[in-house]
Amino acid sequence: MAAIEFHDVSKVFPDGTRAVDSLDLQIKDDEFMVFVGPSGCGKTTALRMVAGLEEISGGTITIGDRVVNEVQSKDRDVAMVFQNYALYPHMTVAQNLAFGLKLRKVDKAEVRRRVQVAAETLGLEDYLQRKPSALSGGQRQRVAMGRAIVREPHAYLMDEPLSNLDAQLRVQMRAEIQKLQRTLGVTTIYVTHDQTEAMTMGDRIAVMRGGTLQQVDAPEQVYRRPVNRFVAGFIGSPAMNMIEARLVRADDELTVRFGEHILAIGDDVLAARPGLRSHEGGEVVLGIRPEDLEDAAFGAAAPGRTLTTACTLRESLGSEVLVHFTVDDGGSTFIGRVDPLTSAREGESLQLLVDTARLHFFEQASGLAIY
Amino acid sequence: MIFVPGRRRARSVEGSGQALIGPDEWRRTKVKWGFGGAQALLLVGLIIVGLGPLLWLAKSAITPTNDTITFPMALFPHGAAWSNLHRAWFDVRVGRYFWNTVELAIGSWLTQVFVATTAGFALSVLRPKYAKVITALLLTTLFVPAVVLLVPLYVEIVHPPLIHHSFIDSYWAVWLPAGASAFNVVLVSRFFDNLPREIFEAARIDGAGPFRLFFSVVLPMSKPILGVVSVFAVLASWKDFLWPLLVLTNPDQQPLSVRLPQIQSQTELGVFLAALFIASLVPIIGFLIFQRSFLRGTGLGGAIKG
Repeated sequence: MAAIEFHDVSKVFPDGTRAVDSLDLQIKDDEFMVFVGPSGCGKTTALRMVAGLEEISGGTITIGDRVVNEVQSKDRDVAMVFQNYALYPHMTVAQNLAFGLKLRKVDKAEVRRRVQVAAETLGLEDYLQRKPSALSGGQRQRVAMGRAIVREPHAYLMDEPLSNLDAQLRVQMRAEIQKLQRTLGVTTIYVTHDQTEAMTMGDRIAVMRGGTLQQVDAPEQVYRRPVNRFVAGFIGSPAMNMIEARLVRADDELTVRFGEHILAIGDDVLAARPGLRSHEGGEVVLGIRPEDLEDAAFGAAAPGRTLTTACTLRESLGSEVLVHFTVDDGGSTFIGRVDPLTSAREGESLQLLVDTARLHFFEQASGLAIY
Repeated sequence: MIFVPGRRRARSVEGSGQALIGPDEWRRTKVKWGFGGAQALLLVGLIIVGLGPLLWLAKSAITPTNDTITFPMALFPHGAAWSNLHRAWFDVRVGRYFWNTVELAIGSWLTQVFVATTAGFALSVLRPKYAKVITALLLTTLFVPAVVLLVPLYVEIVHPPLIHHSFIDSYWAVWLPAGASAFNVVLVSRFFDNLPREIFEAARIDGAGPFRLFFSVVLPMSKPILGVVSVFAVLASWKDFLWPLLVLTNPDQQPLSVRLPQIQSQTELGVFLAALFIASLVPIIGFLIFQRSFLRGTGLGGAIKG
C-alpha cells in the first residue's frame, strides 16, 4: 500500500504526439482513483507510465516515497489487470496465479496459501487446474484479478478491466472489484471510459482530455460542480444540454434567455455562483442536465421555470422517459429525463419544468464554469 | 471440402455455408454417381501420383536385382529379397551414413531453432532501437542467391575469423552455416509480432526479466512456429547435398545425400534401391509426426479476449 504521485509528468511519443501533458496528481494511500476520459485522452498512457510500460518523457512519478522513473516494471511492486486479460495461455489457472510469486521466490507453501485464498475470494477453486481457454470471459477476468491479488502489491493498476464483459457481468464484477478494493485496502488506479464505472467505483475521479487533467474530485462533486464544459458534458448520461444564452436583468430579477425561452435565476443560485454577476448582460453557455427537467404535469408550474416546446422524439426506458425537443430556431436539441407516466407524444407540444437551482453556467470563450 | 459426400459433406455445408452442391442435390442419383465417381477417380489418381513412386521404391527395395531388371512391372515374381535392406545397412554402410545424416540434421536443427528463436525474440519482443535496421538487413540477405554465397562461406569455414582453425571435415562446418538462416529469423519474428504484447507486459510486471520471459512465456506459446522451423530445418538438412559435399571430404563423415550418388556405380541395383528407401523413410515419418504442427492453431486460446 502506497501513495502514488505524478509531478509534472509528460509523455511525448516518438512521432511527436503529446499523450500526457504536465500531469500533477496525488493519489492517497488506499485510495480508489478512477482515470476517465474519451479515447486518446492519455488515461491509459498515464497508467502505463506508473506500471513502467511506458518511459516517462518529463516529470517524476513516485510510488510510496520512491521515484520510479528509472525503476523497471518488475521492481515497482505494482500489479496490473489488462483490458483483454493477458493470461498465460499455456499455464493453468493455478500456474497463472502463482507465476508472479514464483518469480519473486516466495516460499512454496506461501504460494499455495495465497493462490488458495485468492481462488476462494474470487470463486475460482473449481477451475484451478483448467487452462484459460476452458474458461468463460467472466472467469478469465477473475483470474486476471486473482493474479493481481496474490501478489499483495503496493498498488493495483486496472486498464478498462470490464470493457470486454457483457452488461450484466460488468455490473456484477464492478461491485466485486469495489468490495475487493475496500477489503484489501490497496491503492488502485482504475482506467475507464465508462462514466458509470467512474461515478460508482472511485473515491475520486480524474477526468482527462487531450493529455491534460481537467478535474479531480469526488464523483458527486465532479457531477455537481464540473469545472468546465467538457467535464460537464462528459460526466452524466444523457449528456448535459448546453446552449448559448444571454444573462439579462429584468424587473430586478436576473434571467437567462435562449431562443424564446426565459428562465429566472433565483437569489440562491446567484449566492452559490457570485461570478454570474460579472456576466450580467453578456453571453454565457447555459447547461441543464436532463434529470433537472420534468414534465410540467408532475410538478408545480412557476413563472420563469417552464419551457414550452414540442417533443420531437420520445424514448421510453421503462423506469423513465427521455424526451427530445428543440429549443431554438437553430435546431439545438435538448433531452429531458421525465416521469415514465408522462403523456408527452412525438410532434405534440410539451411543457417542461426546469430545476433552476441546478442550472450550470460556463464562460463562452474559455468554457470554464462560472461559480 | 466441396464435393465430399456423406457425413463430412453435411458438416462442411454447415461450416462454410457455401458448398456448391447442397444436400438435396446429393440425393439425386445422377449427381450422386457423377460426382461420387469423379471424386473416387480423383482420389485414386492422387494416390497413384503421390504415393505410387514411394510404394514402388519400397517394393523394389525388397525385390531381387534380377527381377527388377527383367520384370520391372511384376510384383515379386520370385519372392522378396529382404536381404537387400540388411546388405544396404551393413555392407554398403548405409547405416553409418544414416547416423551421420541424423547427427547433421539434429545439429542443424538445434542451431537453427536457437538462432531463430533468440534472434526473433530480440527483434520482435525486446525491440531495441536498431531492430528495424537489423530486420531490414536480414530481409535483404534473402534476396542473395545461396549459390553466390558458396565461395565466401567456404573461405570463412576454412579460415574462420577469431578462431583461426579450419572447420573442414568437422560437423560444425555444416551446423554453423545452417544456423545463419535469415528466413527462419524472419518467420519466427513475424510469429512473435503477432503474439499479444499484453502477455509480455503482464509477465514483466509479474517480475519476469528477458530470460524468464523467453523461456517461460514466449517459447511455450511458440510451439506451432517451432514445429514449422523444425520441419524445414530437418528436411533441408536431410536433402542438402552440395554443402556437405564441399566441407566434409571424409566418406566416413558424409551423409546419405552425398554418399548415395557415389556408391551407386559400385552397388547392386536392388541393394542401392534399398538404400534409397531407407534414406527416404525418415523424412516421410518425420512429416507424418510433425504434420500436426502445420495444421495446429496458434495455441493462444483464452489468453486474451479475441
